[in-house]
Amino acid sequence: MFQLKLIRSLRALLALLLLAASTLGTAATLPPDPLKSVMWENMASRFFPGEVVIDQRVIVMAPVDAEDQMQVPVTVDATALEDVVEIVAVADLNPIPHIMSLRPLQAQPFVGFRVKLEQATPIRAAVRTSDGVWHVNGTYVNAAGGGCTAPAAAHGTNNWYDTLGQTRAISRRETNDLARLLLRMRHPMDTGLADGIPVFYMNEVKIRDEQGVALADVDLFEPISENPTLTLKPKVSSDSSELSVYARDTEGHEFEFNVPVPAVTAN
Amino acid sequence: MSAPSDTGSSARLSRRQALGILAAAGAYAISSSAQANRLSYDLKATEVASRTWMVEGRSEYFSLENGGNIVNIAFIEVPDGVVVIDTGPSKRYGEALLALIQRTIPGKPILRVYNTHHHPDHFLGNQAFSAQAIAAPQTVIDNISAEGEAFTDNMYRLIGDWMRGTAPLLPQTVLSKDTEDVGGRRFSHFFLAGHSSSDLVIRDDETGVLFAGDLAFLDRAATTPHADIAQWQQTLALLAGTDREMILPGHGLPDRSGASIEQTADYLDWLDGVLREAASEGLTMNEAMRIEIPARFNSLAVVDTEFQRSVVHLYLQLEDELMPLIEMK
Repeated sequence: MFQLKLIRSLRALLALLLLAASTLGTAATLPPDPLKSVMWENMASRFFPGEVVIDQRVIVMAPVDAEDQMQVPVTVDATALEDVVEIVAVADLNPIPHIMSLRPLQAQPFVGFRVKLEQATPIRAAVRTSDGVWHVNGTYVNAAGGGCTAPAAAHGTNNWYDTLGQTRAISRRETNDLARLLLRMRHPMDTGLADGIPVFYMNEVKIRDEQGVALADVDLFEPISENPTLTLKPKVSSDSSELSVYARDTEGHEFEFNVPVPAVTAN
Repeated sequence: MSAPSDTGSSARLSRRQALGILAAAGAYAISSSAQANRLSYDLKATEVASRTWMVEGRSEYFSLENGGNIVNIAFIEVPDGVVVIDTGPSKRYGEALLALIQRTIPGKPILRVYNTHHHPDHFLGNQAFSAQAIAAPQTVIDNISAEGEAFTDNMYRLIGDWMRGTAPLLPQTVLSKDTEDVGGRRFSHFFLAGHSSSDLVIRDDETGVLFAGDLAFLDRAATTPHADIAQWQQTLALLAGTDREMILPGHGLPDRSGASIEQTADYLDWLDGVLREAASEGLTMNEAMRIEIPARFNSLAVVDTEFQRSVVHLYLQLEDELMPLIEMK
């Protein structure tokens, strides 16, 4: 009996300490949200815990109004920051907030993608630099309802599985040692939130050079739009002629292909 | 041939109906006359040709302030009655339009109401008129049937209580002949496409006024949510050679010179070219939205907004066209 009481009070003490620690931690590092979202602290603790600064050098491009809530274009450009380790994109008020994460191993910290929005929401990019600090910025997108809980257009056709993973791509050189890679892969990107359609999405995309050197790793999540489209800026050497892409979905389908990189043109 | 008499009679309360009930309850609770006055379209008719009136819409995008009154509506007195071209963005607009027609041409029956195409600002006032009098090509009716509910939901979001009670009402008369006589006046029908998959152009053969719907915009940027640009350009070339005295565009002032056709063709040509270039260079949609718009389009109202919307409308199909397929390993 006594032991039980002791354990209970120890538990209570521990809980209090944890609460105090988390409160102190939050108060010390989390600046107020410029977008004044009710989900700010929740987003921070789940997706960018630790030291956070609001940083205008992180450019988040998204339209003020979502013309098509199934395909809301977002571009994150953090090229003004040095030593970027990871870019995490979230939509606070989506039923599944985490959109994607990019680790630009040998690439510029730049990514373009399209997202399904369930309602008007902040869209944020949290950019982690090698010192562990999260540089966060975002923008507010006004949207009608239903992006995440509506079935993919693919389910209106009877042969969508035949073209699963079918890929279109463009790559070009922005400079001699920097490519721009645009990929579009056929995939329904099912969120699991539409009636009777289980979760099924492309969750992994890896970009490698000819020698197998890792250039960029991308984790995709449910909110990414049907037929995921990615724009990346991998570093390339002046003599490289192709980029190698590996992609995988949540059912274990694997897709591997090479995208030709144009030769350096003499100026 | 016959269209269903109501628009998807589902027993379940739609989001829109629920909003309507909530809005009605809210308005009843507030019940302030100021509120009631604010939501008045205050429509005015301008006689632009003999016994032909235009109800001019603002050169803006849908907003809570304008209640969606961004579209030109027209009505014509014919020997035995009245012909109406399009019905506006809401039930409330349709009712205001009907009252305006009855004040302008008292005592004459409305014999024919045309819907030029299925965009919400052109047909959501249908409820004020007899469904039997409302006519459109079959494809316009099919398009309203397929997308009318979604448009209506979206309009509730954009203009709120102006939409109270609005629901899509399908035209009950299918147009298929090139001409028809309405109340002693001959009208020509042109079954075209490009702005949407079915665009009806109507000519009053007496006055020579060509009602161009949204195929021609004057001093306002063209909208592209269902556009096929190549087809639209062909249609504009055809319209340019069509006999007429005047064009009444769906948006913009009456046009005697054909400037609305030239402006629209010029803008679409630039839009298509610049987006093709952007997509083939692999620009993201957001980067494409930041492309500078040439100064010659500064005179087009809302060109910045419409250009951004057009990027979303047109980019996916351009990428499909311009990005090569890649072989899997």
